[in-house]
Amino acid sequence: MNFEQFQNQSRLYVIGALEPEEVEEFEKARQKFGKKAEDFIAKCYALHEAFALSLRPAKSSDAIKERLMAMVKAKKDA
Amino acid sequence: MKGIQAGDADALSQLYDRYNGILKALILRVIHNEAEADDLLQEIFMEIWNQAKNFSPQKGKPLGWMVTLARRRAIDGLRKKQAYARAEERLQNETEQQPDAWVHNATEDEIMLSDTRVLIRKVISSLPPAQQQAIDLAFFRGMSQREIAAKTNTPLGTVKTRLELGLKKIYDGLKDLRDEL
Repeated sequence: MNFEQFQNQSRLYVIGALEPEEVEEFEKARQKFGKKAEDFIAKCYALHEAFALSLRPAKSSDAIKERLMAMVKAKKDA
Repeated sequence: MKGIQAGDADALSQLYDRYNGILKALILRVIHNEAEADDLLQEIFMEIWNQAKNFSPQKGKPLGWMVTLARRRAIDGLRKKQAYARAEERLQNETEQQPDAWVHNATEDEIMLSDTRVLIRKVISSLPPAQQQAIDLAFFRGMSQREIAAKTNTPLGTVKTRLELGLKKIYDGLKDLRDEL
């Protein structure tokens, strides 16, 4: 696998779309390309943020935050 | 995130105020159920609180870490409940996952995010519909290439090509935004 192919596979990898038989080959290439590979994969995770930011934010009820903060307080106090 | 890592509950409160809308939208897009999305949102922020020590700024921005976590939890939830059929039915009935009204005074953060959303949507909508569909099914529904091929009655190789081309176009199209994300 050359680096351009690795880049294509990386974009599939970060969204979990590689098939199991492709993952093994991807991991071998990842080792082969070392830091360059890790840096590229880290950049690809920006796709996650982009997809999330492409959605219109949804309103959640105030009760959710109240429950969350109560749980956090209980955990801290425990 | 530093505050949360130090056990500061106020920092979590601020993080929640800033990002709950984005994460809720993502969860809703996956599971299409308001009540389940609220429950999951609460669980995810609790996990953020519990797992904050595992966040490393060297590996990316806090939002990216939270989105990855939220997406994984939402897709796990969808699979566990075997709700594909119900979600599909709802999906067909919904053109938008959210009502238009999100009525309150927008903060500077929200205005910035709104501009970002417009830019990202412009890039995504420039893709052919088949590429958009393949990416949507892979990212928001956690489908494998084989599952997408079966669902869309498309050869596996075509699905792979659509995903590769579509993701590359989005990745390249977001170059200018990437440092901000």
